[in-house]
Amino acid sequence: MSIILAAVFGAVAILPLFVGDIRYVMHILIMCLIWSVVASCWDLIMGFAGIFSFGQVAFFVIGAYSSAIFALKLGIPPFFAMFLAGGVTAVIGVLVGLPCLRLKGAYIALVTFAVHMILEPFLKSNMGRALGTGGSRGILTIPPIKLFGVTFSSADLTPFFYFSWIMALACAIIIFIVIKSYWGDAFLALKDSEDFAVSLGVSAFKYKLMVFALTSFLTGLIGGFYAHYVGMLSTRLLGLDLFVTLMIMLVVGGIGQFPGAVIGAFFTVSLNEMMGPLGPYRPVIMGALVVILVLTLPDGVIGLIRKPEQRRG
Amino acid sequence: MQFGMLEIIDVIISGLTNGSVYALMALGLTLVYGVSKAFNFAYGSFYSLGGYVAWLLLGLHIGLGYGAVLLLAIPFLLVFGYASERLLVAPLRRRSDWEIKVMMITLGLALLLDNGYAVIFGPRVKSLPPILEGSFVMGDVILAYQDVGIFLLSIFGMIAFGWLLKNTRIGMAVQAVAQNPAGAQIVGIPRDVIFAATFAISTVMAGIGGILLAQKYFISPAGGWDVLVKAWVITAFGGMGSIRGSLYAAFIVGMLEAVVAFFLGFSWVLFALFGVLLLTLAVRPQGLMGKWG
Repeated sequence: MSIILAAVFGAVAILPLFVGDIRYVMHILIMCLIWSVVASCWDLIMGFAGIFSFGQVAFFVIGAYSSAIFALKLGIPPFFAMFLAGGVTAVIGVLVGLPCLRLKGAYIALVTFAVHMILEPFLKSNMGRALGTGGSRGILTIPPIKLFGVTFSSADLTPFFYFSWIMALACAIIIFIVIKSYWGDAFLALKDSEDFAVSLGVSAFKYKLMVFALTSFLTGLIGGFYAHYVGMLSTRLLGLDLFVTLMIMLVVGGIGQFPGAVIGAFFTVSLNEMMGPLGPYRPVIMGALVVILVLTLPDGVIGLIRKPEQRRG
Repeated sequence: MQFGMLEIIDVIISGLTNGSVYALMALGLTLVYGVSKAFNFAYGSFYSLGGYVAWLLLGLHIGLGYGAVLLLAIPFLLVFGYASERLLVAPLRRRSDWEIKVMMITLGLALLLDNGYAVIFGPRVKSLPPILEGSFVMGDVILAYQDVGIFLLSIFGMIAFGWLLKNTRIGMAVQAVAQNPAGAQIVGIPRDVIFAATFAISTVMAGIGGILLAQKYFISPAGGWDVLVKAWVITAFGGMGSIRGSLYAAFIVGMLEAVVAFFLGFSWVLFALFGVLLLTLAVRPQGLMGKWG
């Protein structure tokens, strides 16, 4: 697990040496890093904790909007606004998690996806506008992150790339530690047999709520990071195609096959960019891709690598 | 602001008409979940499919009435639903994480269908002519025959389904599989065929819902999502797997929607539904008449 993670991040770190001058490629790489965090968090909550949360994009958008609003309305420096946004998202995540965790399987997907569906009308409503979401126009002038006198804006992508790289690596390490820790074992036990694990004293509720808080914090944080990178936000982020794109990352990487989600993010974001010229056919192909991949790649690319090992063992 | 009797009657009529269609659609959703534990995210797209099929058939101008449209659309939807289940859902059942995989694959199918509609039919909305022309006027109260037709057809659909479930061999087989899939298989019921058949029936219900409601609210490529959300809230509120529960819940939600839309505006409907959903799950997670929590 750690070898794959190190290899991926190591390879990505030296890429700017070769493609640093091509803005478009650098942009794609930054997007890959940002989405790798979102996809890994989703994998942690769905693949490891076994919670069918469909609110991942919603948490990302909540983080992005909160960070932008903190920076614009309250004048908080973007770097701190980002962490505050993570905190806000974590609180909302816990609020969503509290009723959800008493429910089972499909119900959780239902409620969390309802949060996703209701977010767009909320952001466009008068209530949202009063908070500073900009209604259906969105937020257009989000300030870039400034740290130690360096402005991390889209003007020069190389510093920004390394900033994203550090963020993504930090999140990946946190998730890695969680999976390897007592938490990870608790989740595995809960997934294998919830009743038995609970009878041994593993508190399903406590660990699930903690993972809800942690993943929403990281997702909100990276959402804020994304907002300060692209500089504008609109409710188009909540479209079904982005949700499905995130899902493809997880399917490609394999659910519950942790560094897989990172690989899936790199594959999917690049593919999505390449399909840009296809216009209206792109979402059709994305939909078809999900159908095909779910059927043919049950454990993702990591599953393909792992299988022969298991046979030998 | 003054609200007269007339507006209130309008609200009630709208609530009853929409409620009846929602009941039919929620029935399809809860049927599949109750029998096979599969949650179908493409359900809203099947709703739109019904609308588009009817629009195509009516647009042929060969004098097809709604009767003929339904006769042609139902077998098409049956085959479509049956094939979807056999090709997409059935292969996943062998795996331990099939529940989430089914949600993912149907979500992918929804994206494929919705954008397929946009590519084929264009992003602009399509409208269907009313199933019945004219209206019944009694004093100041106007009752469109269209609303009566929609209401009666949905109720008829539900009664017919209930009768089939209770009185035919396949209906009893469906009940048996819902109660105990392994047991049903032991006594020789082809479980996989029943899974596919219920999926096909639910597709027909969604499609008919689309044909009926599109007359009032147009057909658009992503228009099914709104209805899917309502069908969900109804199933959760009524209790997943409970047919009677969804029936009551559908009329309550239909009424609530009409009242909220009238007094507060359409944009509040979704928030109100979400409130109902959260309240239900907080107070009574198994829903009004659900079998499990």
